[in-house]
Amino acid sequence: MGRSLSVIGGAALLAAAIVCGSGVAFAQATQKPGQPPQMNMANMDHRGALSGRVRDGAGAGQANVTVQAVSQENGAMFSATTDAQGNYAFGALPVSKYEVSVTRNGLTAYRKRDVDIAMDGKAQLDITLDAASAASAADFERQDLLAKIATLEQRITDLESSTVLSEPETRVRRVEVFVDPSGGEHDEPVPGAKKEITYRRERTYRRQTISEKIDAALEDAAKKRVTVGVDAAMATQFATRSRGETDPANGAYALASADLFFTAGIAQNTLFFADIVGLSGAPPDSQIPTLTLINGYTARLVEQNSLNLREAWLRTEVYKNRLAFIAGRLDLTNYFDANAFANDESTQFISDALVNNQMLGLAVNGVGAATEFDAKNGFKAKFGFQQSSPEPTSLGDSLFTLSEVGYTFTPFKLPEGNYRVWFRTDNSDPDVIRKGAGLSADQKLSPAVGLFGRYGQQQTALGDDRFYSGGFSFAKAFIFNPEDTWGVGYAQMDLASGDKEKLVEGYYNLLLTEKLRLSFHLSSVLDRPAGGERFAYLFPGIRFQAAF
Amino acid sequence: MFTSRRLIVAGAVLLVALGALGVGLQAQGVKISDPTSVVMIVNRDSNDIAFMDIKTKKLVGSVFLGNNVNPHMVMMSPDGRYVVTGGTRANKAFIIDTKTLQLVKTIPVDIAPEHLAFSPDSRWYYQGNPEGDSISVIDMQSLSKIKTIPGFAEPLNVTFLPDGSKAYIGNYGAHWVGVVDVRRHELVKKIPIAEVPGVSKLDPEKYLGEIHGINIAMPSPDGKYLYAADGTLGIVGVIDPREDKVIKHIRVGKDPWRIYMGHDGKYAITPNNGDETISIIDLKTNTVAATLEAGPNMTGVNFAAGKAFVISSTSGFVYVYNMSSLKPAGRIKMGTNIQLETATTDTKDEKMYLAESTNHEVLIIDGKTEQVEHVKNVGLFPWGTHIMDSKDNYCH
Repeated sequence: MGRSLSVIGGAALLAAAIVCGSGVAFAQATQKPGQPPQMNMANMDHRGALSGRVRDGAGAGQANVTVQAVSQENGAMFSATTDAQGNYAFGALPVSKYEVSVTRNGLTAYRKRDVDIAMDGKAQLDITLDAASAASAADFERQDLLAKIATLEQRITDLESSTVLSEPETRVRRVEVFVDPSGGEHDEPVPGAKKEITYRRERTYRRQTISEKIDAALEDAAKKRVTVGVDAAMATQFATRSRGETDPANGAYALASADLFFTAGIAQNTLFFADIVGLSGAPPDSQIPTLTLINGYTARLVEQNSLNLREAWLRTEVYKNRLAFIAGRLDLTNYFDANAFANDESTQFISDALVNNQMLGLAVNGVGAATEFDAKNGFKAKFGFQQSSPEPTSLGDSLFTLSEVGYTFTPFKLPEGNYRVWFRTDNSDPDVIRKGAGLSADQKLSPAVGLFGRYGQQQTALGDDRFYSGGFSFAKAFIFNPEDTWGVGYAQMDLASGDKEKLVEGYYNLLLTEKLRLSFHLSSVLDRPAGGERFAYLFPGIRFQAAF
Repeated sequence: MFTSRRLIVAGAVLLVALGALGVGLQAQGVKISDPTSVVMIVNRDSNDIAFMDIKTKKLVGSVFLGNNVNPHMVMMSPDGRYVVTGGTRANKAFIIDTKTLQLVKTIPVDIAPEHLAFSPDSRWYYQGNPEGDSISVIDMQSLSKIKTIPGFAEPLNVTFLPDGSKAYIGNYGAHWVGVVDVRRHELVKKIPIAEVPGVSKLDPEKYLGEIHGINIAMPSPDGKYLYAADGTLGIVGVIDPREDKVIKHIRVGKDPWRIYMGHDGKYAITPNNGDETISIIDLKTNTVAATLEAGPNMTGVNFAAGKAFVISSTSGFVYVYNMSSLKPAGRIKMGTNIQLETATTDTKDEKMYLAESTNHEVLIIDGKTEQVEHVKNVGLFPWGTHIMDSKDNYCH
């Protein structure tokens, strides 16, 4: 409605301007020297005269030259023509300041502003048409043109600033209101009123560009979507036997993995997550009997060439988002012992001994629940339980529990470090609960160098198994590209059964694009089976990973 | 008798004089006598600048700028005489008299004016026009635009050297900082912050997509160096203003929004929206002292009571960090389904004034106790706040 009124108002103004302009045009008059002026009786008492002589550069009078006088106040135009001697005269010009000009052959030969015509005055203006007057007139024209261009530019700027959406925006707000005993609603507290929450539509007037509006709509739509993530990798490894007679002597292996992640926000602070994984190929672990997995992806290989539901859970956060509950089909190792430098087979070390603490002991994902408390002051506590049997008969069958306490701080003026201690129980063996415990730390020594270490111990029927690992990680320095990382690590496993393993790995992870990584790995493993012959292998390998 | 009559006359004259003086003062309409006593609030959708008394927490006035102006950032001149703002959708700069809260001048500038700065002597007001790729130079003596400096790429923030000789312009649409000679008001040098890595050609989506360049070249508290964070490159470049060249690169987290200087001169912080961390930079060694977990969509960092307060705009949280131990110190829940904007800190480093646009309020956070007080109905869509002489005056 307001806009309609504006348009009508604008049109009316425009019409008025046209009428005024026409009036100015109608005010044009032509006077000849010696002739009585065409007088407007109403203004007769206020007019003044202007006269003079038009000469050329040599001083000769110029006949039949038209002299024009334009009022600077209202644009009224008057003209007079010179006689044979070059004289011209405006007998009665309304009081104003005038711009006087002479045009010859289509070009302005003379122009002068601010010629003052006073009430009953007689002004004299002699005009010389020479090169100087022409140059001055040309400069005048140029200035005039520049002024018009500036005006035009300003109008374009105004137009640009107005070509945006200025329709009112509607949004719904959650507001606190105060309801008095009589049921009246107030925005501010009143005596006896009860505070209540309600929702209220609000309208604001904000100009938005079209692109801003589109961005807002896309963002809004994105919030309602199910997000799909993909993590696809192919790890090729070559095995070269360096010690012992174990078969095979040499071989090439490749394992391709594809993870599909689905995430959706389904309520306030509540998230649904599902991970479907498919693997295909032959890892070295299918043939080489090392204690730990040489290819960390092998842990996900349940069945060749088929998709498996790896995880599907709901997570909700309460208590100012400090406390999180997760329940569903879980991989508890994702939530425990999350070492910053050695916990991801897709971007860091590929050997499982440098991805997971081998004493955590989980083999199969299952139904479970976990809770995380993050005080946001560096302290974190977690507890979770999960079934780790492919075919459980009851909830208590093959049940793992895991507990962890962690702390983040900056010790000894070093950058940040994360320190954790965990404890687990496992009732997989009938009539006995096996226990395990471990430590995990990752500490930055400088912005470029990080140190990590793990220790784990678990009970078995034969005694205690032990596991150690440690190493360095490098980023932001000693690299080819800004976001490359590399690391070296060592892991050792000593089982109560007498089996032992020592493993060393180095990797360089090259970030080709935000979504594509290429890693080079070299692992060396020495295994000493209890009562068996030692054997050792060298595993050079390449890993391609695409994640988006 | 004569004496008492003279006394009566004298008293009457005095009363009249006092009355006249009072009327005079009233006529002048002094609304703010101490420019340091107020918090200025930019209300984007009600198109006004509101002034809140720091002591009483009441609005003492507001200046309406015009329909659909959408002011972006407000700043008081260092001499406290004027308050200025750029109207993003009006393409104009607005100058307000601090004492009377009168809009004294509206000056057309270039397209979409947002952030601005004053020269230390209050003479020049540089208005950045990100969509016009220019800086408008406004003379605060004549209150007129004297020049438009072209040649920038989405100029987002302006900072002056303490001696006022040069101004540094952060270009969010490029990877360089512009150096302006303030005597001539001319762009005299472009300082590239870092080389784009060789693998960039493999990643056109990142490098040829929306560029996240340099938000601001921020002077260190001692004024010796300038620090400029580049979002796409994930680097902070340290500029020596004596030679106007980068003397050190500091690699921080992903997509740093900009750098914020701690008040004690020891540390600075970059909120890294790409990986939802903050990088704490040791200004003595120019290295990252710690990288700590933070929240999504961070829009600002304030310092008070020995702590850093990092605003995570969409999560409704302010993350707190102890600047002595450099470790997380909890987070403050400001609300649910709200949008936090930016904040300013008082000159005592005690309280912060955070604009919250969803409920049209300003949240006052006590730095020591972390208690939050709500000041409601400050105007529609409060977008930012400003206190004269605050060390944390910034905008989005």
